[in-house]
Amino acid sequence: MFLKKKNFTLKFVLFFATSLFFAACGSDTAKEENITTAAVDTVEAPVESQEISYSLPSPLQIASIFKKSGLKYKGGVTSSFKDATKYTTNINKAINLGVYSADLSYAVLNKQNQEAMTYMKLSRQLSDNLGMGSVFDQGNLANRFEKNISNEDSLAYIIAELQMVTDMYLDENDQQQITSIVFSGAWVESMNIASKVYEKGKDKALNNKLAEQMTILESIINALKAEEKKDAGITGLIADMVSIKQIYDALPSVKNNPNASEDTEVELSLTDDEVSSLTKKIEEIREKFIKG
Amino acid sequence: MKKSFYISLVGLLFIFGFTTLQTADNCDKKALTASCKKKLEPFKYDSQKFTKINFTKKPQQLEVEVPIFIGEKYRLVFNTSGLPKGIKINIFTKDKEVKKREAIFSNKDAKDSEKELVFDAPRSRKMYVDYDVPADSTNAKLTGCMIFMVGYK
Repeated sequence: MFLKKKNFTLKFVLFFATSLFFAACGSDTAKEENITTAAVDTVEAPVESQEISYSLPSPLQIASIFKKSGLKYKGGVTSSFKDATKYTTNINKAINLGVYSADLSYAVLNKQNQEAMTYMKLSRQLSDNLGMGSVFDQGNLANRFEKNISNEDSLAYIIAELQMVTDMYLDENDQQQITSIVFSGAWVESMNIASKVYEKGKDKALNNKLAEQMTILESIINALKAEEKKDAGITGLIADMVSIKQIYDALPSVKNNPNASEDTEVELSLTDDEVSSLTKKIEEIREKFIKG
Repeated sequence: MKKSFYISLVGLLFIFGFTTLQTADNCDKKALTASCKKKLEPFKYDSQKFTKINFTKKPQQLEVEVPIFIGEKYRLVFNTSGLPKGIKINIFTKDKEVKKREAIFSNKDAKDSEKELVFDAPRSRKMYVDYDVPADSTNAKLTGCMIFMVGYK
């Protein structure tokens, strides 16, 4: 009886294994049979064009571009709202993670070590609240940041690495919308800092860079629209970003240079009044962001 | 008898593993990211884009818009090792709606064995990365992923 049972088990295992083997080989045969058809299909089938997707830059790059254009450090222009626990919805957490990321980049590139540490901690808190705090532990990033606090170049590389592990985390967890939301917050904060500094020095290069930054606003809006279904709050964020674009598009300097956003040889300059009206709108949206 | 049982079991596991490998994609995102990062040096990491590709009976075109800034230097690193079969990669400065556009980069001359491709971008406002995915009528439901990483300095 016992032997019969073992024999049965052995036969069953062999039968199953053989079936699987032939199933696997069978699919190869099927593939070969279909190759002829595939060649015909390739020629005749029209190309299916998918929705466009977006790859937005990092907050650090935006801060770096402004820095290269001569953006000086000015105290008090970064977010003074330093209580990350106040943000309760995911969209407000993500927007303000972006705000803190921009402030962190500005502080690091201007060697404001203490401020950089504060924004790093706030970014960590918000990331924890968003359930992605583990990215700070990858590659010992948080500790390396503290140890290299007096080395601007090392800190910039650590922030870039943090961005990389965050991007990968969000992609692996199918939360790409967070990337677009965070960048929206960071972009508005960077523009707010740059326009506040511009008010003081009226630097031409900074004026050009403020205008250049406006060329990516459409990409930000489109990236948010592509992810709109994933979070109900994105619709309101799109409206905020569109309201900035409407102000910019209506400026006479922009209307008179319709190709400025595409022509690589044109560096658009805005008048001081135009920068003021843009600054006012950006400040309004930024206040809304940090209040949550 | 016991020996035969274990031999059969090992055979079963081997065949099961073999069939599983036939259908799974090779999208190890961590490994692909690490590989691209090496090729990105000395440029600083800016962003990366994974695109899941499902091969269907019809050829497909997928496009990713990459906004860039004049005056900055950019490098793009592609890795195709997450794909079960080759695709065409082209980069343009105009989107797919524009009829007359010229590619500033193409992998058409790259060898099949070249899985990593590096492109240093010229001065531009935007780049459009296009993936031309060929048709697959084998019913094999082939899937995979493409990655490109953007760096700046």
